[in-house]
Amino acid sequence: MSIQIRIKKGVEQGLIDFLKFLLTNEKVSAVFTLRKTPKEGVYDYGLITDSEMLTDAVPLHPLMPVNAGQELSRFTPMKKPVAAVIKPCELRSFIELVKRAQGSMENFLLISYTCAGCFRFDVSLEDQGNKHLSDYWKAVERGENPEGIRETCTVCEYFVPINGDVTVKLIGEKFNDEAVLIFHTKKAEEMAEGFEGERSEVEQFSDKIGSLTEKRRSEKIKLFDRIGKEMKGLGGMIDVFGRCIKCHGCSRVCPICLCILCDFESSLFDYDVSQIEKELLRKGAMRLPTDTILYQIGRMNHMSFSCVGCGMCTEVCPANISVSAIFLRTGEETAKLFDYVPGRDIEEPVPVTVYKEDELSTLGEE
Amino acid sequence: MKDISNKGALIPVKGGVRKTILEFAKSLLREGVFDGILISMRVPAKDSYAWVLIKDPSFIDKATPLAPIIAVQGAKALKSFTRKGKGSMKIAAVMRPCEIRATVELVKLNQIHLENITLISIDCPGALPMSYYIKNPEDGEKDFNDLFSGKDRTVSTRAVCQICDHFSILPSCDLHFGLTGEEGEGVFLIPNSEKGERILKEMKIKSSETLTDWKNSVKELIEERKKQRAERFQEVKSMVAGFDSMLDTFAKCIGCHNCQSACPICYCRLCYFDSAVSKQDSDFILQKARRRGGISFPVDRILFHVGRMSHMSLSCVSCGVCSDACPVSIPVADVFSYVADQTQGTFEYRSGEDIEEAIPVAQYQLEEVRGVEELIKQAEE
Amino acid sequence: MSMKIGVFICECGPNIAEHIDIDSVIKKIVATEEFKDIELVIKRHKLLCSNEGQEFLEKEIISNELTHLVIAACSPRDHESTFINVCKKTPLNPYLFKMVNIREQCAWIIPDKEEATNKAARYIRAAIRRVLYQSELLEREIESRPDVLIIGGGIAGLEAALSLASKERKVYLVEKKESLGGKASLYNLLLPRQSGGVDEIQKKIQDVENSENIQVFTETEVESVVGFFGNFEIVLKSLKADESRTELKAGGIVVATGFDLVNPQALSGYKYTKDDDVYTSLEIEKMIYSDGKVYLKSGEQPRSVTLVNCVGRDEKGYCSRICCGAMIKIAKAIRDLSPDIKINVLYRDLCLPHKEDQRFFDEVKESGVDFIRVKGIKLKERRIEYTGMDGSKSEITSDMVILAPAMVPAEGTEELAEILGIPLDETGFFQEAHYHLNPVSTTTEGIYIVGAANGPQGISESILQAQAACGKILTRLIPGEKIVPEVKVSEILESFCTGCRTCLEVCCYGAIYFDEEKGVSVVNDVICRGCGNCAASCPSGAIQAKHFTSRQLYTEMIEAIR
Repeated sequence: MSIQIRIKKGVEQGLIDFLKFLLTNEKVSAVFTLRKTPKEGVYDYGLITDSEMLTDAVPLHPLMPVNAGQELSRFTPMKKPVAAVIKPCELRSFIELVKRAQGSMENFLLISYTCAGCFRFDVSLEDQGNKHLSDYWKAVERGENPEGIRETCTVCEYFVPINGDVTVKLIGEKFNDEAVLIFHTKKAEEMAEGFEGERSEVEQFSDKIGSLTEKRRSEKIKLFDRIGKEMKGLGGMIDVFGRCIKCHGCSRVCPICLCILCDFESSLFDYDVSQIEKELLRKGAMRLPTDTILYQIGRMNHMSFSCVGCGMCTEVCPANISVSAIFLRTGEETAKLFDYVPGRDIEEPVPVTVYKEDELSTLGEE
Repeated sequence: MKDISNKGALIPVKGGVRKTILEFAKSLLREGVFDGILISMRVPAKDSYAWVLIKDPSFIDKATPLAPIIAVQGAKALKSFTRKGKGSMKIAAVMRPCEIRATVELVKLNQIHLENITLISIDCPGALPMSYYIKNPEDGEKDFNDLFSGKDRTVSTRAVCQICDHFSILPSCDLHFGLTGEEGEGVFLIPNSEKGERILKEMKIKSSETLTDWKNSVKELIEERKKQRAERFQEVKSMVAGFDSMLDTFAKCIGCHNCQSACPICYCRLCYFDSAVSKQDSDFILQKARRRGGISFPVDRILFHVGRMSHMSLSCVSCGVCSDACPVSIPVADVFSYVADQTQGTFEYRSGEDIEEAIPVAQYQLEEVRGVEELIKQAEE
Repeated sequence: MSMKIGVFICECGPNIAEHIDIDSVIKKIVATEEFKDIELVIKRHKLLCSNEGQEFLEKEIISNELTHLVIAACSPRDHESTFINVCKKTPLNPYLFKMVNIREQCAWIIPDKEEATNKAARYIRAAIRRVLYQSELLEREIESRPDVLIIGGGIAGLEAALSLASKERKVYLVEKKESLGGKASLYNLLLPRQSGGVDEIQKKIQDVENSENIQVFTETEVESVVGFFGNFEIVLKSLKADESRTELKAGGIVVATGFDLVNPQALSGYKYTKDDDVYTSLEIEKMIYSDGKVYLKSGEQPRSVTLVNCVGRDEKGYCSRICCGAMIKIAKAIRDLSPDIKINVLYRDLCLPHKEDQRFFDEVKESGVDFIRVKGIKLKERRIEYTGMDGSKSEITSDMVILAPAMVPAEGTEELAEILGIPLDETGFFQEAHYHLNPVSTTTEGIYIVGAANGPQGISESILQAQAACGKILTRLIPGEKIVPEVKVSEILESFCTGCRTCLEVCCYGAIYFDEEKGVSVVNDVICRGCGNCAASCPSGAIQAKHFTSRQLYTEMIEAIR
């Protein structure tokens, strides 16, 4: 049964205190969280073992330089767990990776929070005076979509963490005055033993969560509708992905794209000159390199139903294509067919591994 | 500038320089001198450019001989066509000088087969930053038109373009279009190899014009750029002097490897730094974290950049697609261009110029490297 | 399959035991947290390399069913092979064994016992971590080939062929000209007794052609050679129109490609044309061989002949050894035509090394041949300007001038050296392994250089060298013998290779070839020597050196510095 601990401090400080507690009492071997770097205005995810260094931590900042779930899957510590503060979508993507044997829940104490979204790169990189940041916190308190967040954040309805060990209440709460942490699992409770704070039963989340979810749902319908129209048919695909230069930045930062060598970069797509010449004769003109749209469709086919809409792909795209919105839409529509939600349940197998032939037989009828 | 032919043909301009070049390209196809032309074309959504291999002359009208941006490096497009061997069709590729240089390097690395391919270059005024163009394609078009016609030299091209001294004819091209900067006069078509001469002959075009004025203006601009290059490199030097500077310069790097994927020279199917060999033991990472109190993720970003430098800087052609591709606006091209100048200088090697000159990495002699020890000593003093 | 690592620490008598606290090392290793999940059998022993030690090891490996083995002892150069042989007596694959040097690298160089103990513990821990990433490698045997390839059908090649060929040893004799015999078959008179050698040489040629065990390839050259002693893979190319290729395998190669003469017209100071009566020694030899005498272009007998020795010696920088003798022989042949012909011999130095040479020289001198020592000469048609030893200048014009040009390596020597991977010395001839002590071997085992290919020499020396090389081959390349090719070779992962051929360029053994169809590089694992150059040169990491993979090296390194 979950318990709640309330600390009479600002939420960031309260959380940092808890992390310090875990480190100094050797309950964890290290803490993984966002932190300041020596360079002004630049933040990254750090693995911290020295509790003094936690003063630089900014665990709840709306930044995602890389998808933390992806980083955690590459890191499987040995004996004592690592406490990691990550966003709900990063948590979901980590669970998707655990399902594919790319990581283990055992090694981590997963701490997440109710997330109002994270900044686009162009916003976070130029926020010298932290103006965007202070506006952000105001919006979080009010339970609204802050300015400058990623497109897929504006429509994300899964911003209350699932399957973590600890959840920090943030949206719609009085987080400037207090930090409220919920401990869901036995592991989390054991870790919290000895930590100072007001213990109680879990109180309900702010009702702003509900209203934000509604707002986001309706935004999603609008967004998906618009994208559906833009992408319609081959002509639409060509318009939307025409700028794509096949740099594969999207697949590289995507937590779900775990292949060491992407099929579309392998010798499978190395054509003989004669094949290209034949096509050229047939069509009269041919775009090179080939298979840009095929790559996008292929990637959708391979991973979109596990897409959590973290938005890394759009951020990294040099051609500024709204990859995340497109993939999230395709992903959610596809996953719906199998009644699947990525990251919802660690026991829920990935559809492509267990679906039955007749599951899709009704599709044609629809 | 190597001694190029002193004569070229003067093609009268009708409807603008770029249209004139397109007409020439069309006639190359119509006369059967070539079976296909590889050239830039604006994408249907009009917000970027792509490479198109054209056989049917009617498509040429939609093409653009020199695009405002470099979305895909031309050498990469050529590589996707002829990596596995030479074709039977005669193809002409119309590209920027830096793309021609990258092509030559890829030929040396057996990634492009140049038989049946003719390289045609154009005097390049530079390219616009891709992010700028994509956000405002119409403004971008206007800016580039002004730049191209010489009306407005103050348009901001990419940082590497501003210090480029390889923007005109190079030893490795077969034909070159020399621009005189003023629309309405004419554009020089200069044969630069036997292949080039043969083509003019087939097209019944005589190279009877002397190129002195044009050559002189190009030389002048090269000198100017060389100065700017040296100045910029002085700044860049401090950006990479020592590990701390490197950390500072690459602080925002998120390890996305966009720079490596966009780079025409990075030809590895699987980058060493993505492969399993560079995957680190998590307990080693933990140990490093213990030793320093904390480490940043993703790990080994500086190692990636230094490693990439050591693998490709001998062939770097300063085309700048790496900076365009970087999502956090790190001046990758400036840094890599500077390092490339140094490494290539050590072996007196100029990438992309002489197709017979082997890349030093597999051919260098021990004596050449001994000289580097001296350089390092000097640098340290 | 569960892993069980045996870790045995040798005391090496007092060598290690007195400088390293072995029990402490064992404690440290057992206490290592990261090893808690690995089953370790860790023991110390007084002297593992002794018979008793080896038996002990063997028993331990078998009874504990060890899956991996780490031995901490002396230098691998001392006893790695000893312990590998112990492994071979057990089911444990010897490549799942790692040896750690805690003697030369710890005990013997670190005076402080604690420090030495710590370092030893580090090294052993690193080896334990690494050995888990090592893979079983299987050795195999191939039969070494007793057959021999001889390049060059001159006197040295013929001699070698006849000495080597037998039922169990085939000889392949490759000659680029249409017929065998080389330069020696052009000489009518052999010094010093002016006795012919033609018949003997002709007999050798016939014996070679008739031999069942010698296969002769004329108008053929060697196109490529890869491999090593006992196992060379050779491709021959016919110089006839069809350019057909022949593939051969041989265990040894004898290079007997002979010499050419430098062209005097290419040297400064020698100006003449075909119309002048200026000849090289070889041209005169041919003249005497076919017509029995010396005569001018007009057909008449010359009244005066000047012979010029040491032509090109300054430019080449070496003495060609046989020309003095040959020129004296020619002088005698001309003297025998008529006592009235004025004969001069201009020379820089005289080289008369053989036991009969001095006497022959005296005879010829007494017959009225003038030997004039000069510092330098200039030839213009038939007029010679020369500088005497005292610096005085003189000139002499004769009816006929005969030049003795320097011997140079045969045409194609540079290319052949490249193909065989053997060096040339500064003179351009093939370089011997050791000037004094190993004059017919090269730096590559299995390739021998004999005759004039080795350096300027005459027929008797060429035969000597041919026999010397044969002696080496007969004793070392034994029919039926087995060789085990290197098993720690490089491996190229096809899916990661983009065919840039960088590895091909850095491989010094010719062990990588390019598969045109697949567009990837492939390692010939019989020829590969496991040097690792290719693995280091591949930017994408598509090449791994077996037993030295990046994973193994990183793991060991990281554990050592933990």
